[in-house]
Amino acid sequence: MARHSVGTTFELVRDVDRYRPIYYAGASGDFNPIHIDPEVGRLAGLGGNILQGLCTLAWAVDCFARYLGDPGAVTRVQARFSRPVALEDTLTFRGLVTAVEGDTVHASVRAENQRGEEVLKDVALEGRSRPEGPR
Amino acid sequence: MPIDPGLVGRRWGPFRYTVGLEKLREYASAISGGIPNLGLSGLPEEVHPVLHDEEAAARGPYHGVIAFPTFAVTFAMAPFGAAVLDPALGVDLLRLVHAGQDFEFLQVLRPGDVLTTHGELVEVSMRGRHQVLVVRTESVNQHGRTAVRGLFTGLVRG
Repeated sequence: MARHSVGTTFELVRDVDRYRPIYYAGASGDFNPIHIDPEVGRLAGLGGNILQGLCTLAWAVDCFARYLGDPGAVTRVQARFSRPVALEDTLTFRGLVTAVEGDTVHASVRAENQRGEEVLKDVALEGRSRPEGPR
Repeated sequence: MPIDPGLVGRRWGPFRYTVGLEKLREYASAISGGIPNLGLSGLPEEVHPVLHDEEAAARGPYHGVIAFPTFAVTFAMAPFGAAVLDPALGVDLLRLVHAGQDFEFLQVLRPGDVLTTHGELVEVSMRGRHQVLVVRTESVNQHGRTAVRGLFTGLVRG
């Protein structure tokens, strides 16, 4: 597909406001106390409650979905979490199209915080370059 | 106590989950800077119409609202949750962090879909002082098709 070419970049910035882990817990059901209780986060040696890794992952997927223009077109993601995400961090997601094979687009996304520390390393993503329609 | 590697192969499930339209909207809102209650706040910024707007989505390629892909965690996480709470494994939750997450999204998820999820402990290993456990999940929809495959990697800090 001419629309997608190797080397194309895309970006998404997300702020971790103080209540984001609680909002994400409500939406996802992930109420692990280290995400919603600062005291438990401190006891766990994390300096306070931390954002769910799955919320960071959702943002990385959204970065790619916005590039594709279709949230239903994302077919695969593989991610490793490098470091915890704290409240009031600002995360920048930078994506790169790494391969295009027929209708399949391969991309990688990295995420770092406002100090330039990596929070997600080389997330591998795959998507369709056009919607498949009802399945 | 470290997790006994002899428990590899242990399974959890089935876990059943019915997808609801408002839950899909709440999830889309919460990952887009909003809160999971559209009645209070409305949707934030430019959320894709296929994730919330029934009329617009009906005219689009999916002919209806679909889930944001990682919404799958709401039901696919159940076996991982059961694993880390299973007394046989004895995971110390205060030392547990989510180290990795893989998903294959094989079918889009729609309101009314019924997903049945099973999970299996597929790996127990050491990474330095830390112990790693991996739970593989498979979620099958009401048509008998595999909709989501997941690989949940937890790390218990040593």
